[in-house]
Formats: sequence, structure tokens, C-alpha cells
Amino acid sequence: MKRKMFLGVLGLLGLFVFLTAAAAQDYPNKPIMLQVPYPAGGSTDVGARIVAAVAEKQFGQPVVVVNKPGAGGQLGWTELAKQKPDGYYLGMISMPHMLTAILDPERKSTFKAEDITPIISQALDPTTISVRPDSWKTMKELIDDAKKRPGQISAGIVGYLQDDEIGYLQFAEGAGVQLRLVYFDGAAPAITALLGKHVDVLFCTVGDNYNQWKAGKIRMLTIMDKERSKFYPDLQTTAELGYPTILSAATRGIGAPKGIPQPILKKIEDVFKKAMESKDHLDKLEGAAQPVKIMTGEEFNKYYWDSFNVAKKWVEYVRKK
Amino acid sequence: MEALQYWMQGFSVATLPINLMFALIGCVLGTLIGVLPGLGPAAGTAILIPITFNLDPIGAIIMLAAIYYGAMYGGTITSVLVNVPGEAASVITCFDGYQMAKQGRGGPALGIAAIGSFVGGTFATFALMVVSLPLASFALRFGPPEVFALLVVGLSLVTGLAGRSLLAALIMTFFGLLLAMIGMDPVRGAPRFTFGVQDLYDGVGFVPVVMGLFGVGEILVSMEQPVLEVIKTKLSDLFPKRKEWGISSAAIGRGTIIGFFLGLIPGIGAIIPTFLAYVVEKKVSKHPEKFGTGVIEGVASPETANNSYANAAMVPLLTLGIPGSPTLAVLMGAFIIHGLTPGPFLFKERPDVVWGLIASLYLGNVILLILNLPLVGLWAKLLEIRYQYLYPGILLFCILGAYSLNQSVFDVTMMVLFGIVGYVFRKLDWPLAPAILALILGPMMERSLRTSLEMSGGDLFIFFQRPISAVLLILAAAILVTSAIRLMPMWARKESKN
Repeated sequence: MKRKMFLGVLGLLGLFVFLTAAAAQDYPNKPIMLQVPYPAGGSTDVGARIVAAVAEKQFGQPVVVVNKPGAGGQLGWTELAKQKPDGYYLGMISMPHMLTAILDPERKSTFKAEDITPIISQALDPTTISVRPDSWKTMKELIDDAKKRPGQISAGIVGYLQDDEIGYLQFAEGAGVQLRLVYFDGAAPAITALLGKHVDVLFCTVGDNYNQWKAGKIRMLTIMDKERSKFYPDLQTTAELGYPTILSAATRGIGAPKGIPQPILKKIEDVFKKAMESKDHLDKLEGAAQPVKIMTGEEFNKYYWDSFNVAKKWVEYVRKK
Repeated sequence: MEALQYWMQGFSVATLPINLMFALIGCVLGTLIGVLPGLGPAAGTAILIPITFNLDPIGAIIMLAAIYYGAMYGGTITSVLVNVPGEAASVITCFDGYQMAKQGRGGPALGIAAIGSFVGGTFATFALMVVSLPLASFALRFGPPEVFALLVVGLSLVTGLAGRSLLAALIMTFFGLLLAMIGMDPVRGAPRFTFGVQDLYDGVGFVPVVMGLFGVGEILVSMEQPVLEVIKTKLSDLFPKRKEWGISSAAIGRGTIIGFFLGLIPGIGAIIPTFLAYVVEKKVSKHPEKFGTGVIEGVASPETANNSYANAAMVPLLTLGIPGSPTLAVLMGAFIIHGLTPGPFLFKERPDVVWGLIASLYLGNVILLILNLPLVGLWAKLLEIRYQYLYPGILLFCILGAYSLNQSVFDVTMMVLFGIVGYVFRKLDWPLAPAILALILGPMMERSLRTSLEMSGGDLFIFFQRPISAVLLILAAAILVTSAIRLMPMWARKESKN
């Protein structure tokens, strides 16, 4: 009797393995949705459309980009976490934006960080500090001046509790200064305000200010990274300047609702990795001033949870204030 | 002389048959996007970017720019014919355009819109070449406090001139501002007044509300009335009457100027210029009380401002690399994908692209005119369909439009709900325009107010310390006070006696 049951269980297990393997073999047999939680035309959307166009050739099925904008990405991620984990619904995720939305109790998020499986990263865009060319020449000048008049120098922040603000908080802690924060809705109005002398300093990413820098309209003081950026080879990093704790970036990648069978997950990872490594993808992303950074599997998972802990620290810090 | 050389170079690029074809395709696609409600110019342009991936940069940019201004015109068609604005900038065109269509004068309404768009667009492009650099740097002086003050002026203009009662207009303005408060706090992202409904996190959708208030509300009111006779449109009716040409040309002139100057200021968006053009037209008119009953200048001026704005907004984009509206941000993304960086260096590095684009803006305006004038007859023919067949069609069109926006049934529900609200307001004869404008401007106003206060550390005096915002706020106060005096019961009685 026990034996029969054992065989039965074994048989079921075998059937299960067989079916999931068959499903992976079969996958994908219909179009795959790639959801973007931001409006069409933004950098996440552009990145998604570029990689979708390359990946769909290798999947042999269309990769359809759908925009579900709203609540700073929160609507889209909430939707993503709710989907069936069958590999046909993927979404663009952004760190730390998604993580702070989860962590900030005011945002009333209905999903948790573990509800989303990070699959592959596409771009890692470090936060920078920039000023107008007629002002501070070095990071040291800015810090010295800020120490003299705490809370007087105004700094534009591209989004509340996003990478730019975390970068600022690390800067404030590391350099022991305090600026007057002015929040903007995205990079374009923030840069306009810097150029128009409505704020004096700007915290934003490379993708946000590269074009203005190239045109000679702004001066870069530092980039919050351990390594120098391909886009600004002459720009000293925070680590080089002696502030290794100032380390912030906006990272974009592809995620899925948790629970996708391993073989399917592997296939998605492989196809997108190949697509992202293609010259076509690299050239187009670089043309859009997005620094490519491909992380998968354990590496990306670790990055995701490291970012979670950093975000947690600063969300709690801001809420206590 | 150098400028002339650039012109010539630009035109030689833009008149290449392949580039002419791209401009034509762009105009057709853009008009289509404009006609479909829900699909706005920004989303439409973004979705079409991938089809330009394999084109050369000049062709791609010419086509995308054509899509952009084509959409700005296309929105007019449905505003006039079925009272459903195809995109936000055409909301104002509903007021008189649709009334004209109801009187069988849809042809002249569309005709004057096409001509006004052509004039406004062409002038703005011309000015773009001449004055772009000095004007663009002036526009940078509009920081958050100045933008806030400008929005206050816009709201007080619409409120002050909206209806017979200042009180009703003020109530509607606050109704719109309240609706605008629903959703996420614009800075911290905390949900407000959402009652836990996730669909409300991003606020009350503008498109469902407008389609509800105007489209559905209109149908509900019409259902009460006996079936009207079919509107007959003769071909001779396609052009405005002789008397109307004079009125219209002055209106077109004013619309051009308003659209052009507002286009230079980044972040204004396409809606304010049209509203401002409309209320200015009403203010200078000899018969302001007839506005909203189908006067031609009520169509001519905002439609002109719309396209003048669209072309002028290229100035901050091309010279400073600052996109003034969401659609232009999309267009800038397209520039960058094609390896072109908008900004002063673009003029030096790729004069062929800049001047080719500018020249193609001229040609595009001509193409739009040629494309749309003959089609006006065709569009106007739609009006000959009996209402009992037309209304279900419009209703279906509204539902599709509301749904297609986010593939959301919630949006459709909102639209129906606001259709009922619109019906009630119509019955009360309370003006819809202030509510709509407040709903559109509310988030921008709240954000610029809060950003200004962040800049000053919470000090309200920032609005009066800065000269531009101080002047604008005084202007706004003056507008409200004069309207209040004009509408005082005592004066109103006197006026009606006269």
C-alpha cells in the first residue's frame, strides 16, 4: 500500500517535471508582454522598446511593450506582482524607485520586494552632482561653501526618495553639509531650473544630464560610482575624491512575478542576455546616453537586495526626520 | 547672408522626394492620431518611434515632427464634428466648433482651423529662424514661481470670462482643482482622496473626464430633444462667409502671437495657449455673449494658437535642448536615439538636420493645408448622418477611446460617470471650461507652488520678490476684480437695459 502510494507520488512528480520541462520546451508559444510602468517616451520606455525589438527575433514570438504608467511606477509594479508567473508577463523594474515605493509606508504599497523576481539588468546609471559653469569649480569648493551657509544653497532633486535623493543624503552625511532641497517631477524641469538659476546644484543621473554637459551648459563635479564613467572619462568619482560611502545609481532591468518555473526563467534570462549583448542593443542604448550594465542570476539578485537594504536605511532616516 | 545659405541648405534637404514623402506620411499618421481620442500626440509619437529606427536621422526627425504637428491639427476634427476632443489642446475648440457644426457650418469651422493652423505654424517657424537664440534664453527666467503665477493668470482669465455668473465659474474652478487633488501627492507620492481605489492613485484621468463631460454629456442632453432634421452641408458652405474673413484674420493674428510666445516657455504645455487665445478673443470681441454659440473666431484663434505653439515650442528644444511639453520630450528622445543632441551644438554640428527640419516645418504646414482643405468636405459629410445613428456611433467611439488609453474598464466607468455630471452641469448652465482647465492645470499648479516654497524655505514672499511673478499675480487679481465688477447684479441689470 505504502509502496503504491510512493510510486504514485513518484509518478506525479515525474509527470510534473515532464510537464514543466515540456512547458519550457514549448515556451514561448504566444506573444510576451513587457510592461513599462512609465509613460511612453521616457528612458525606461526607450530602453524596453530597444531590447524588445532585438529579443523578439530570438524568441520567435513578438515581445509587446505595454505602458502602465502611474504613481511613479507603483501602479505598474503592483500590476506586475499580481500576474500569473508563466513567463508571458514581464516588466521593467527600477532600483531604488520600486524599493522605496515598497518601503515608504505613505505609499501604501500592496506588494513586497520578494513578490518580484529580478531577472536581468539593462542599465546602471550613476547619480552625479552638477552645477552651472559660472559657479563652484570643484566638489571641495561646493562643500566648503555649503559648510559656511548650511541650508542656503538650493539643490534640485529629480524625484522624492529616488536615487538622486539617496545620493544627496549620502553626500550630506559623507561631507557633513546640508543643502536646501527642491523636488522636481523628472529630469527635464530640474535641468531647466538649474540653467535658469532657480536652483544652484543638481542631483541627477548621467542619462539625465549628459547632453547638457556635452553642450557645455553645465559643469560636473563628481559621479557617485567606484569606477569612472565611459561618458565622462575625465570626471572624478566620489571614491577618488575620498567619499567612498557616496554611491548611488538608478538601475533598470527586467523583472517578473515570483514563481516562474526555473527552466522558463533560464530561457528568458538567456534570450535577454544575448539580446542585450548584441551590438545593435549596445549602440542604441549608448546613443540614448544610457550606461549598459548586464547582471543576471545570483549577481543581480544580490544587487537587488543590497539596494533594498540601502533604500531601507534612507527611507527610515527620512521618515524619522 | 549666412542665414540665407542655411535656408537654402535646409530647403534642399527638405525637398528631397524621400523627405517630402516622410513629411506626408507623418502628417497623415499625425492627423489620424489626433482624430482618435485617447491616443494623444505624446503617446502616438512614442509608439511610432520604432518605425523610424531604420531610417536615416533626417528622414526620421522630419517624419516624427510631422506626426507631432499633424496630431495637433487632427484633434480639431472630432472636436468640431462630434464634440469629442481628440487631444487635450482641442478641448476649447469644442465650445464654438461644435456649435457651428450643429448649425450646419462644420465646413467653415474646419476650414478656418486649417487655415489658422497654417498661418500660425508658418509664422512661428519663420520666427523660429529669426529670433530663436535670444528668446530662448529669456524663457529660462521662468522658474517655478513664474510658472505658478502664469497658471494663476490663466485660471483667472477663464474663470472671469466663463459665464454669466462669477460665482458659478468660481465653483467650477474649485471643483476642477479638487478633482486634480485626487491621486498621489505630487512630491512625496502619498495617495490622497483615493478611498483605497488603486485606479485613482494616478489621479482622475483627464481624457475620460473630458470625453464624459463633453461627449457623453452632450449626447444625454440631446436625447431629451426631438430628433432634429439632418444637417445639409452644401459645398458653398465649406468656406467662411465674407464678413467672417475679417473677424477671423484678426483672430488668427492674435492666436499666432499668443501661441508663439507661450511656446517659448518650457513646461507650459499645449493647452494653456488655446485657452488663453480663446478668452482673449472673447475679451476683445464686440459680442462676447455670443461665444459658445458658434462664432468663428472662437475656433480660429485657439486653433491658430495651437499650431503656432507647436512650432514655437521647437525653439527651446532645438536651441537649449529643453523639451517644453511631453510630446516634445518624446521627440527629443527620438533625436537622441538617432544620435542627435538638441542644443546649441546641434546648430554647429549638424546644420543639415536643424535647417532641414525647419524647412520641413514650412513644407509640413503646406502639406497639412492641402491635405485637410479637400478633406473638410468629406469630414463635414459625416454630419449628414441622422443623429439616431450618429449618437450610438459617437458613444462607441468614446468608450473605445477611454478604454484604449490604459486598457482600463475603470476609465470607461469614469467617463460614463462624468457624462452624468456633465449633463447636470449643462442643465444648471454652469460653465464646464473652468473645471476642465483647473483639472488640467491643478497638478502643475500644485507642483510649482510647492517647488517655489521649497526654493524659498516656505516663504510666500518669493512670489512678490521676483518681478515677473509679481506682475503676473497683480494681473490675475485685476482680471478677477474687473470681472466681479462687470458681473455685479447692479451693473448686469444696467447692461441688459441698454
